[in-house]
Amino acid sequence: MFPAKVPKPTFKCYLPPAQTDVKNTVEKPLKKLEAKLLSGEIVVNEVNFVRKCISTENNQEGLWGKLICTNFKVSFIPQDTSPKQKSTLSHLLLGEHDIPLTCLEQVVTVNDTKGKKKVLGSNQKLKFNPTELILYCKDLRVIRFCFDEAGPESARKVCLAIAHYSHPADLQLLFGFEYQGRRYHESKAERVNGSTPRGLQTPIFDRSSDWDREIKRTNASEWRVCSINQNYAVSSSLPEHIVVPSSLTDQDLVQYASSFTDGRIPMWCWSHSNGSALVRMSSLTDPLQQKKTEQKIFAAITKSHPQRNEPFRSDLDKSLPSILDIQSAFVKLRQICILDPFEESEERWLSTIENSRWLEYVRAFLKHSAEMVYHLEGGNSSVILQEEEDRDLNCVVSALMQLMLDPRYRSLIGFQSLVQKEWVMAGHRFLDRCNHLKKNDKEESPLFLLFLDCVWQMMNQYPAAFEFTETYLTVLSDSMWIPLFSTFLFNSSKQRAQHLMDFAKHKAIPQGEDQVVYFPPVWEWSQQFSTKDQTLFNNPMYVGKGAACVQNGEVKTFKRKPKAYSSTLRGPPTNLRNGVKGGEETLTRRSSLANELKSELTPVKDESPSERFFKDWFSRPADLQGLLIPLLMPSHMAFWKLFFLRWVPEACISKGGPVTTYHKLSQLVDEIEILQSQLRQYKGTSPGNTPLTSSGGNPTDQRRMYFQASSPDDPSTPPEYLTSSFPFTPTGNLSRRTVQGTPISKFLNGARIWLSTETLANDTV
Amino acid sequence: MFEDSDKEEPQLLPNETVQDMAQDVTYFCPFTGALRGTVTVTNYRLFFKSMDRESTFMLDLPLGVVSRVERIGNASSRDVSYGLVCKDMRNLRFAHKQMEDTLRKSIFEVLMKFAFPVSNGLQIFAFEYGQVFPENGWKVYDALSEYKRQGIPNESWRITKVNDHYELCDTYPSTLAVPVNIPDEELKRVAAFRAKGRIPVLSWIHPESQATVTRCSQPMVGVNGKRSKEDEKYLQAIMDANAQSHKLFIFDARPSVNAAANKMKGGGYESEDAYQNAELVFLEIHNIHVMRESLRKLKEVVYPNIEDSHWLSNLESTHWLEHIKLILAGALRIADKVESGKTSVVVHCSDGWDRTAQLTSLSVLMLDGYYRTIRGFEVLLEKEWLSFGHRFQLRIGHGDKNHTDADRSPVFIQFIDCVWQLTRQFPAAFEFNEYFLVTILDHLYSCLFGTFLCNSEQQRLKEEIPKRTVSLWSYINSQLEDFTNPLYVNYSNHVLFPAVSLHHLELWVGYYIRWNPRMRPQEPIHQRYKELLAKRAELQKRVDELQREVANRSASSASERPGSPTRSITPVQTFV
Repeated sequence: MFPAKVPKPTFKCYLPPAQTDVKNTVEKPLKKLEAKLLSGEIVVNEVNFVRKCISTENNQEGLWGKLICTNFKVSFIPQDTSPKQKSTLSHLLLGEHDIPLTCLEQVVTVNDTKGKKKVLGSNQKLKFNPTELILYCKDLRVIRFCFDEAGPESARKVCLAIAHYSHPADLQLLFGFEYQGRRYHESKAERVNGSTPRGLQTPIFDRSSDWDREIKRTNASEWRVCSINQNYAVSSSLPEHIVVPSSLTDQDLVQYASSFTDGRIPMWCWSHSNGSALVRMSSLTDPLQQKKTEQKIFAAITKSHPQRNEPFRSDLDKSLPSILDIQSAFVKLRQICILDPFEESEERWLSTIENSRWLEYVRAFLKHSAEMVYHLEGGNSSVILQEEEDRDLNCVVSALMQLMLDPRYRSLIGFQSLVQKEWVMAGHRFLDRCNHLKKNDKEESPLFLLFLDCVWQMMNQYPAAFEFTETYLTVLSDSMWIPLFSTFLFNSSKQRAQHLMDFAKHKAIPQGEDQVVYFPPVWEWSQQFSTKDQTLFNNPMYVGKGAACVQNGEVKTFKRKPKAYSSTLRGPPTNLRNGVKGGEETLTRRSSLANELKSELTPVKDESPSERFFKDWFSRPADLQGLLIPLLMPSHMAFWKLFFLRWVPEACISKGGPVTTYHKLSQLVDEIEILQSQLRQYKGTSPGNTPLTSSGGNPTDQRRMYFQASSPDDPSTPPEYLTSSFPFTPTGNLSRRTVQGTPISKFLNGARIWLSTETLANDTV
Repeated sequence: MFEDSDKEEPQLLPNETVQDMAQDVTYFCPFTGALRGTVTVTNYRLFFKSMDRESTFMLDLPLGVVSRVERIGNASSRDVSYGLVCKDMRNLRFAHKQMEDTLRKSIFEVLMKFAFPVSNGLQIFAFEYGQVFPENGWKVYDALSEYKRQGIPNESWRITKVNDHYELCDTYPSTLAVPVNIPDEELKRVAAFRAKGRIPVLSWIHPESQATVTRCSQPMVGVNGKRSKEDEKYLQAIMDANAQSHKLFIFDARPSVNAAANKMKGGGYESEDAYQNAELVFLEIHNIHVMRESLRKLKEVVYPNIEDSHWLSNLESTHWLEHIKLILAGALRIADKVESGKTSVVVHCSDGWDRTAQLTSLSVLMLDGYYRTIRGFEVLLEKEWLSFGHRFQLRIGHGDKNHTDADRSPVFIQFIDCVWQLTRQFPAAFEFNEYFLVTILDHLYSCLFGTFLCNSEQQRLKEEIPKRTVSLWSYINSQLEDFTNPLYVNYSNHVLFPAVSLHHLELWVGYYIRWNPRMRPQEPIHQRYKELLAKRAELQKRVDELQREVANRSASSASERPGSPTRSITPVQTFV
């Protein structure tokens, strides 16, 4: 916490505690340490007397226990089970010290005495006995185990097993395929006989009815669902059902498809109430046919516009960073956040963040999306997003545009349907981009995380506009690294269909059973979290359907009042105005927007129509249930601390951070909801009525807020365990301060192992 | 918002008089372009109003904010142009036609006279402003009752009257708290060894451990390493007053190099040989000149426009946040020593009125929840800044045209910025909101209130400031609602340990970039919270009404149903 530079001639011992101490700890009577296994999970290898290095300062020697490698995870079972802290989100499938194998970014073994280290891959040899194992995780955790007291041979075996099992040779070897098969059969009894209807609220867009509903919802009358891609006959990456201009026949489309990369004909995403549509497509492959096909398609899209306005096309490959740029930005940012010694990176923190270019890219995507929104909303023309394959940048931009344009997608279910529609079904290569099989590093790119960061930026600027929280976004991102859900395991819906068909056959799942039932998507959150923990996804400030302030239509909607934005700073006018400076700011702003005059004295550069559109939009109070445009000055781009710094103990504010606000707001909203349910009860007490079994607002169960008003465990003061990392906890993770000065830290600093998976030292032994 | 929007003049304050008016003046707004309108100059403000556009544009600037007025451009041109450099992170540019009547002064010449009253033999407006407020802010702070709140005097600390007539130290307050066993005579000898006679005195005492925060100036060690038995004994007495620890920490705010350089000028720092059981720590905070330069650079980066690229590295190059970090880190070390180490600390820099004030006030803000209330924060400013002689007049240069004065420095702004950083990290720990902090800074310059005038308590007494001016706290305390943080939770005995790494520090855009209309503050969470409070109150009212109704009904009806919801309703916990 303090600057390392303070010139104080003290000597601090960073070495592990002397052997004698260690012995004392180990020689305690051992209890049997067993891994908690899921159905179908088997222990591959294990080693005892392992020390997990953690940050807690009064516990320098770390945590003793057993390290286990299974076919699903790396598990550490501490010998002294400390009472589970209430402070953390408890995962139903993973323990506090567990890491799914798919979450491993890199497995590094070290022999401290010999000065050797090796990055382990699949089927590799290890010619030295490791004294340490360092696991770099995709969710940005860094975990370090020491084997000073463990049997050298078993330690080596566990390391090799972890390395091997984290590089599965085949997709079907991912644990999800084992787990979901067993889960299906085991839970069969709980389900109604035979096939069950979907209980899931989030539309999956694998059926034409989901698209139909979307067409109706957005009033896209000139568009229709088309099923030419049934059985993936036309394109291997498009979904089976897509939406196309009504004026085009199936025959036309089949013909045009051959001119597009992977047959990806233009696909409708969304329609504005003014009739303009958002369409995405791949680039045309056939140069001869290109012009003609393009004209025909554009004509059809024009025809689908009520005013016959010509569509606006944007080539994203030319305007935005590539997936490689994004990957390299992320690698740099990760390096800064979790690997560089915290204090050393201090002084240059801002410029290193800038040099990573991550925030610059976040801003570029938001900016481009906002500009496209202008064409749709302000320019009243349909927008066509074009990208060579239509499977990466288009996913980000089309989803962001819809998030800005349509409040529906700012609700929890709406957001999930958006991800399902624009990412999963649109064929974003989750398998390759996540690099689950660790086969091709060049294909890896954190595009989905970039999108989540963009969403977070909007959430940060409009905290009442989203039904969900940043915890939700973080948990969603973490779920990418748990290979149990169908959402992030495949490159396309065709690949998903094929694998799941094989899977169903293999696991004796009856034909015709719904995929969603036997291999559920991530959206079935009850797989991972208790109902109570899921309430951490709910934003108490949300102004929208189901929000505290509009329920039952009892109270007016809380749209922002015209002067609200100035009121926090300038204060409302009062009878004691004399001391206050006038509302200059407000007035400056208001008049600035009316500014359309140009005089030769004006130092302001000419405005483009889009600039004027944005200026005009910002001059009015934002309607959280309408169009939402993010502020895009560089100074508006914030660093997503919860996501990037949650595991860093040094960056943790105890009893502080945004969560204290969340805590306070949640309690208030909970009180409001209790009152609302009381009102409902009163209304339901007229004679003859059956007693209320409350729907949603029951004060005892099914509360929407994580922090509740009158429960004795949650006094109104923020509980002690709240930290800026909440609901995650940095304790139990490697604190960089404790490794400073040891050979390992030099290794961590110098080797830049994030950048390369090559073996860093030759094992010459 | 403005009822009288068709009048050309501003609504005048009591005793505010119009000095000059000029029409057809052009204001070059850096955000919206040139505007033509009328300028009014009063003895308090500059008021510009333009009806060029479809909506009225107004600029209302207290003259105290003006740091410098400059005529720009050559005399031959038809237009005369004036630039106003302001202390609150903006510059303004105006122009008007060359005067035909050469004898007539430009309105900006008039403005100069009233913007710098001290340089022109005029009175600062605060002495004329006659507004009466329901609250009297001059009564907010009383040294004796504040020490009493802390439990002083007690068996180890006493209140001394040695400085009653500011004879011991003319920059200290008249009421001082010192160790019990040091008689006044000895205090005088200690004063001789401390720069400007600023002896170590009590700022704050821990209610349980009795560990203290004391403040002073540097010891007059000099190149020869002079020692003072009295000073050594005095520091020993401070240590002894805390039975919990056999150590004393001396925090020297300066970089060690600067502290050593001060020996050349007769100053220096305590040697650990002379002061047994004392440990000296340098906090590496730079001096007023470095801070002034840093803020100047920051202004360049944020005003008027932020460049599209290199925002973060430009911000970094100002070092502003790094300075903030060092100050907060220093204060945190002090708070940590006192709270976790139960050890008493002595804090000083060179004179003990700039960096020392920052450090002591920030550390006690972390340690003592009282100072996080509105009234407590006012007390804190009155005590650690005003009574202990932070030289506001010199640092801000009220009414003084000498804008290059090397004594000017944003030390206090920096402190308020640090407080803002704390409020960001602990959004529910402070009773006041961001508007409160911005208002304090606005009136630091405005010269409307007497609070920040003069350099010391003695001067303020001599100038009869409390008698002749209005206190800023009179205004603030008369409308507390505006300055209250609705999320505030009064958790007593709760020490704040902020994260002081740059990862958690942010630029205070709501202050430094507030003039940029594109820098609209984010959706106000406070606003939303207030709406929800109103909603809860409304619902509670309706539930209460229904409850009464049901009770009445069931009382009148003979067949009362068991288990009617009336019984199950428990009042919802209220905690605001």
